[in-house]
Amino acid sequence: MRLFLIAQNTLKEAVRQKIFHFVVLLSIGLIVGSLFFREFNFGISEIKFIVDFGSGAITFFGSMLAVVVTAQLFFAEIENRTVQTLLSKPVYRAEFILGKFCGILFVLFIFMVLMTISLILVIGIREAAIYSQISEEIYSKGWIRYGDVVLFSVVQWVKFGIISALTLLIGSFSRSSLYTITMSFFLVIICHLQYLAQEGWSVTSIWLLQGMLQFFSYLIPNFQIFNLGDWVASGEALPYSMVWQAGAYGIVYWISVSCLAIYSFSKREI
Amino acid sequence: MEIAVSIENITKDFSLKFRGLKLRAVDGLSLEIPEGEIFGLLGPNGSGKSTTLKMLLGLIKPTLGEIMIFGSSSAKVESRSRIGYLPEAPYFYTYLTGRELVTFYAGICGIPKLRIEERVSEVISLVDLEEASDRRVGTYSKGMLQRIGLAQALVHDPDLIVLDEPMAGVDPLGATEITKVVLELKKRGKTVLLSTHLLTQVEEVCDRIAILDKGKLILEGTVKSLLNDEQSKSFLVKGLSLETEKDFELWLEARGASLLAKEPAKRNLDKLFLERVTARKERKDIK
Ligand SMILES: Nc1ncnc2c1ncn2[C@@H]1O[C@H](COP(=O)(O)OP(=O)(O)O)[C@@H](O)[C@H]1O
Ligand SMILES: [Mg+2]
Repeated sequence: MRLFLIAQNTLKEAVRQKIFHFVVLLSIGLIVGSLFFREFNFGISEIKFIVDFGSGAITFFGSMLAVVVTAQLFFAEIENRTVQTLLSKPVYRAEFILGKFCGILFVLFIFMVLMTISLILVIGIREAAIYSQISEEIYSKGWIRYGDVVLFSVVQWVKFGIISALTLLIGSFSRSSLYTITMSFFLVIICHLQYLAQEGWSVTSIWLLQGMLQFFSYLIPNFQIFNLGDWVASGEALPYSMVWQAGAYGIVYWISVSCLAIYSFSKREI
Repeated sequence: MEIAVSIENITKDFSLKFRGLKLRAVDGLSLEIPEGEIFGLLGPNGSGKSTTLKMLLGLIKPTLGEIMIFGSSSAKVESRSRIGYLPEAPYFYTYLTGRELVTFYAGICGIPKLRIEERVSEVISLVDLEEASDRRVGTYSKGMLQRIGLAQALVHDPDLIVLDEPMAGVDPLGATEITKVVLELKKRGKTVLLSTHLLTQVEEVCDRIAILDKGKLILEGTVKSLLNDEQSKSFLVKGLSLETEKDFELWLEARGASLLAKEPAKRNLDKLFLERVTARKERKDIK
C-alpha cells in the first residue's frame, strides 16, 4: 500500500514535471525520421531499415532515459530533503526504494508503449505503400511480424528495468546525481561489453585472469541477451525461447540489484 | 505518567572524509521527556539539535546509546507511527497542491481511505491554510511551507510531535500562529519536542528546556526555575514624579530592600508589530 503510494507519487512527479514531453517529442522524431526515407523508396530494404532504425532508437533512448529519469526522480527526493519527511513516517527503506523502482518502471513502460506504437505505425504505413507497388509473388504479405516487434519492445523494457535498478544502486550510496548518471552510463557500457569477458574467460589459460573474468561475468549482467533487434529486422520468427530467457534473466537482475540497493540505502544517513 | 522520549547517553560521530577525522555532533546526551510536556531543545547553530532529532526519527543511527519512543526503540519503523515530524527548513513536493500533499502523507501513515478526506481538511484548517490548499506547494511562501509542514506532521494524530526550528525564518505573526498550534496540542495532551535557536519565542511555550552546546547538554530544567529570579520582583509604574521616586527608594531601603534597576518601560517590538499588522489572512487568490 505504502509502496504503491510512493510509486504513484513518483509517476505523478514524472508527469507533472513534464518528463513525458521529451518522450512524445522522441516518438514524433522517430515517425518523422522514418517517413523521411519514403522519398528513397527502398522497397523491402526500406522496411528493414525502418525496423533497424526504430528498434535501435528504442533501445538507445530507452537506456539513456532509464539512467536519467531514475537519477532525477531519486535525487529529487534526496536533494529537496523530501525523503526526510517521508522516512520519518512509518515507512521502511525497502518500501521507499521499491516504490521508486516501480514508479520508474511504469514511466519506462509508457515510454516503451509510445515508441512501439509509433514504430508499428511507421512500418504499417510504409508496408501498405510498398504492397501497392510490388506484386504479391515477389513479396509475400506479412513480412514484418508485428507481434515480434511488441515482444522485442517488452524485452527492451526488461533491460531498461535492469539499468534503472543499477542506477538506483549507485544512487543509494552516492551524494550527487551527476556522479550517479556518469557512473551509471559507464556501467551500462560495461554491461554491453560483458560478453567479451565471457568469451575471454573461455579462451584464456591464465587461471588468475580466468577467475577474474569469470567473477566479473557473473556479477555484471550480459546485455547481449536482450539484443534481439536483428532478429526482428530479419523477418524471421523470433524464437520464444530467447524471449523467455531474456525476460527471466532480466527479472533475476531486477530482484537481485534492487535488493542490493535496499541494503545499501538502509545504511545511508538521510 | 508514561515517558514519551527517553534518550540514553547518545553520541553521534560523523566521519569527515578527510584523513579519517571524525566530528562529534552529539556527545553523551541523556534526556527524558514525560508525556504531555512541551520540551524545548535550545542551542546555537551547529550544536547538534537537528542531529539529535534525526536520530530520534531513525533517519540516522546513533554511534552509541539508544533512544526509546513510548517504550520502543527508535531504530524500529513502528516507533514512527506515533511521531509527527517537521524537518528543519522543510521543502515538499512542489508539483503537488497543499491538499494533495497532506493526503499523500495521510495515506502513507495508513489512515483508512474513508477518513482521509475529513482528516486532511481538519489539519489544513488547524494550520489555517484552507485558502491556499488547492495551490501548488511550489508557490508557497516560507511561512506557508512551515504551516503545511505542520499539517503534514499532524495528519495521523501523533502523540509526539517533533518540530525542528519551527519558527526560523517565519515572521512574528507566523510564529504566533505556530505557538498557538503548539499550545493547542498541549491542551489535547500531546507531547511536543521542538528545537530552536530563537530563545524568546520558546519562553512562552515550553514547560522545560535543555541547552546544548557543541553536542553536550549544559543546562536542563523547567523554564520557571531557570528564568524566574525568586529573590527579586519587578514593578511597572505609571505617573511617578522624580520626587516620589526618590521617596520610594528611601522607603524601600528602610525596609531592607534595594532597588536594582529602573528603566523606561519598553514595548516589545514583536508585540508592537503584532498590534499593527493585525489579523493576517493569506492573500486571496485574485480571479
Ligand atoms: N551529515 C553530516 N555529515 C557531517 N557533519 C554533519 C552532518 N550533519 C551535521 N553535521 C555537523 O554536526 C554538527 C551539528 O549539526 P546540527 O545537528 O545540524 O546542528 P544544529 O541543528 O544544532 O544547528 C555541525 O557541526 C554539523 O556541521
Ligand atoms: Mg538544525
